Formats: sequence, structure tokens, C-alpha cells
Amino acid sequence: MEDLIKELKLSIIEALNLEGMTPDDIDDNAPLFGDEGLGLDSIDVLELLILLEKNYGIRLASPKEGQKVFQSVAVIAQYVTDNRTK
Amino acid sequence: MKKRVACIGYGALTPVGITPADCYNAAAQGRSAITLHKSTFGCANAFVASLFEDRIAIAGNYTFFDSLIIRAAAQAIDSAGIDPASDRVAFILSTIKGNIEFIGKQDISLPDSAARMARYFNNPNPATVVSNACISGLAALVQGRRMMLTGRYDYVVVVGAEVQSQFIVSGFQSLKALSEKPCKPFDASRDGLNLGEAAAAIVLGDSAIGWELAEGAIRNDANHISGPSRTGEGSYNALRYVLREADINDLSFINPHGTATMYNDEMEAIAIDRAGLANIPIFALKGCFGHTMGAAGILESIISMIACDNKTILPTKGFEMLGVSVPVQVSAAKRSCSGSSFIKLLSGFGGVNGALLFKKGGQA
Amino acid sequence: MRIARSIDIPSGATLSNLYREHKIEYPKFFKMDTLCKLGFLASELLLEGDADRFEPREDRAVLMFSRNGCMTNDINYEKTMADYPSPSLFVYTLPNIITGEVAIRNKYKGETSAFLLEEYDEGRMWAVVEEAFQDSVTTSAIVGWIDCRSESEWTCKAYLIER
Repeated sequence: MEDLIKELKLSIIEALNLEGMTPDDIDDNAPLFGDEGLGLDSIDVLELLILLEKNYGIRLASPKEGQKVFQSVAVIAQYVTDNRTK
Repeated sequence: MKKRVACIGYGALTPVGITPADCYNAAAQGRSAITLHKSTFGCANAFVASLFEDRIAIAGNYTFFDSLIIRAAAQAIDSAGIDPASDRVAFILSTIKGNIEFIGKQDISLPDSAARMARYFNNPNPATVVSNACISGLAALVQGRRMMLTGRYDYVVVVGAEVQSQFIVSGFQSLKALSEKPCKPFDASRDGLNLGEAAAAIVLGDSAIGWELAEGAIRNDANHISGPSRTGEGSYNALRYVLREADINDLSFINPHGTATMYNDEMEAIAIDRAGLANIPIFALKGCFGHTMGAAGILESIISMIACDNKTILPTKGFEMLGVSVPVQVSAAKRSCSGSSFIKLLSGFGGVNGALLFKKGGQA
Repeated sequence: MRIARSIDIPSGATLSNLYREHKIEYPKFFKMDTLCKLGFLASELLLEGDADRFEPREDRAVLMFSRNGCMTNDINYEKTMADYPSPSLFVYTLPNIITGEVAIRNKYKGETSAFLLEEYDEGRMWAVVEEAFQDSVTTSAIVGWIDCRSESEWTCKAYLIER
């Protein structure tokens, strides 16, 4: 799980152009959206959907479903573990 | 005396009609070419859109897009009866992606398309491209009006067009902005827009006759590049500016953007309500033509002018049950109206919003 | 109408260095395409140190001119198109996003417009700017000729214009 969390953080930083951030800057349980945490927006949600599909073969039906999964890196990691097809 | 900037010539080509009158009749009868496309443009995923079946280019070295803008301009120039080769005439092109279908293969520059169009008509002036996302057509009319008011030109030919391609379709799919069914503007079950193809043109002149382009404004939400303001800030501010010149009791209707995305229609309803116009009838045309991007502001203004001439509020194709938080008067069916002015609204990516006020003139 | 301030970002400059040198804190900068980065930085340099910088205002327009618009980013998006079309690249495939980015950063609720001309034409550009002042709310404008020919080759001249 720890490896997956680190891998996720690195790919999130790359996919969302989070310049200057390292995996250590992202708290496993911090919210990804809103004013606290990473402050991601609706376009970022769409990029994260692609990231899950590309890297783990997971297709989420809608951005709304994505919002539930993208609560924190820890939640994403658990979801990937349970649902990955590659 | 201040000039009266009037619309003195029209052109329009859409998949449901190749003259302004044909396009209007389609809208009045609720006809549409919006249909499912399974492998058009080589798109991996099916999409619903309003596309031309006949994609023939005019003679000479012109693409389909270039042909459309020239044909729309020619209609408008003919109906206005002006000499486009005069140095007192200027051309404006409104488009978002122009010849983008040929990216990597040939010249896709937007100003080059505009220049080819001006050259086709032997016009000596540099053409201007207005590319202001989905409000481009409206912004081009604002720009044309301003150029008329300087007195440097006798006529300004404002042309807008969009052709669709894998580039645009895949992009809107990536944003999850497209509906998989015919779109439903302002409806409770709306779930996205349909893209459309069209070309439309208006010749602006200084005339006591014909529709006056009485005022126009462009305002930004300063909120987000791809999401409209929740408070309708920019649209409201643009509306407020054009309303200074309007007699609210004389407004026949408002023709909003009405893309049928959840956020756009809600935002527009809020802006209209904030401006005190919730009682004015509104109808949206996207269910008939789709979202024709660079053409929308010009095409939808022309259809609205003909509708108002016919004392008619057009049906909002696809609309059944109001699905916005304020009770705006969306017209589901065709009905009659009074008044001799109307407002056209558009909003787009980049947080940009626009409003135009049109006023009826004397009879020819 | 007068030019109150002007700025030039030389072609090929390292934009992230410029961002750091001027101690700008705006992480969204790194999500922008080159055209928007140029427009954003040019406006930052023009407005640096202004006391009332981030007060919302409707009286300042943002008017951007170029020949190529967002063509370099169009090419970047096109590469993703057949495989996994990128929404974050697609949103920058509009020539006017540069005006939106400047408006969002500075809370400008005034006019924003993008114009494309066949070639660099100062006369035409100033004529359009002058025409924009017909809007009675507009009292000043951020104006730029910002044209990206590639990711590393551009012309970037920007001005603060007062009515």
C-alpha cells in the first residue's frame, strides 16, 4: 500500500503539473479539493479519471463518482487496490 | 448625428437550411439535424451533433470551412447590395477553431482564412479575427458596431462559422460536456450540449431601416477558465450595460446561450433574474442547430430578428420541464409576442460573457 | 488614450525563472500553456507593486492580439487526441483563455477579448484598442501582442493603456 501511495502521488504531481511538490508534501489523508489541501478543480478531476484508466484500467462512470474516490490519496489507493484491472 | 448601426444584409447556412429564411423555418417548425454519429471524423466514441452532410468546397483552393464563410458572406453582401471591394468596407471573421481539422497537414491559421475571404471579395483592408470562445460571434458584432461608429467604414461584414472535427469533438468529450442525446436547454434532465456546424453573416451599415445593433457589452466572470460563475456575474454585468439603452417594456424576448449544460443554463437564469428580466420570455436554439461555436452569436441573432419581425417566440426544442433554480419564462412551444426589441446572450470558456441589444427599425 | 507602462519578454526566456525571480505565488501558472504563461507574466510585470492590485474592478479590459493564437498548444493537444484526449490541454486550445487567466488573477470583471491578425500590425491593434474604449465602463486596458510561434520562440509585448 505504501508503494502504491507513493506511486499515486508521483503520477498526480506529474499529471496535474503540481510544480515544486514532492510526494512528502502531500498528506495521505488531506482533502484534494477545496481551499484546504491541494485545492484541485474540475479539470483536475477529469485528468485524475484519465490517470486511473490509463494506469490501472479503472473506468469511472462520471466526474461525480470520481469526487467520491478522489477524497484523499489514501482513499484513491484503497479504491485502486480493490478495483484495478492492470 | 450619431450613426445608427443597422443590420442590412444576412447570410446563413446550417444543416437544416442554406438561407436565413430556411434556417428560421426549421427553428419555427422544430426541425433539427442533430443525430448520432458513430464513427464520423474517426472519433473513437460516438457523439450527437448537427453536421452538414454535403461537405463540398467551392471552386479554387478553398477548404470546406473557407467555402462556408465565403458562401455566408456572399449571401449577406448580395442581400445588402454593397460593393465588398470598396476600401470603406471591412471584414471580421468569428471562429474558434477554423480549419483545425487539418492540423499538422496544412495551413490552419485563422487570420489566413479571414484574409482569403476578404481577398475573394477583392477587399483591400486587413481582416480582423475575433476568437473569444463561445461568444465569438457576439463579440465580432460588438467589434463591427464599434468600427462603424468610428466613421472609418461604411459597411462591416461580420462572418462567423464553425466546422466540427475530431479535434473539437474529442476535446468536448474529454470535458464530459457533451450529451449522448439531443440536448435539452433549461430542462430538468439536461445533461450536456451537442456540437453543431454553421456559417452566418451580417452586413452592418448606417441606416434608419432594418434592425439596429443598439448596444453590446462583453464582461468577464473572473472566476474560472472553464466553469461559469455561480452568481452569473459576467453575464449580469453585460446585461446591465446593454439595459441602459433598453426599454424593458418593449423587449419581445431574450435569446440566451442555453447550451443545455447544467452550469451554463443555471448561470444564465440567475443572471437574467438578477437583471430583473425573469418575466421576459426566453427561447434557446441549441436544440435545433446545436452549439455552433463561432457562428452561434451571428446565426442566433439572425434567427431572433426574423422571429421578432414575425412577432413570434420560437420553441425551445428539447425543453419540457424547467430545471433551473429561478423561474425564468422558457418557451417550450411557438407563440406570439409583442415588442420591438430583444436581447441576445452568450457565455463561454475563459469566463467571458456577452450581451447584445437589438431594436427594430423602420420598414424598407 | 496613452501608454502608461510597457513590457517586453524576450523570446526564449525561461518563464519559470521569471516567475521565481519576481516571487509570484500562483501555482496555477504551471498548468498554463506557453501563451497563457506569457500573458500572465507580462501582466504581472506590468502591475507589480500596484497597491490596489487585487480589488475587483470592471473598468479594466484585457485585450490580446496575435497571429498564431494558441497554435502551439493545439499541437500539444492533438498529440493526446487519439489516445487519451487531455482536458487540461484542451481548455487551452482557445485563443482567449490568456485573457481569462489575466482577468481571474486580477479580479477584472470588465471586457476581455482576443483578436488574431494576419501579421503584426500596430496600427490595426491600436485602432481596436481605441474602439474598445467606446464601452463607457472601460477606463484602462491590459493590451498585448503575444504571439507564440513555438514553445521557445515568441513575440511578447504588453502595455497598460489608459483612456
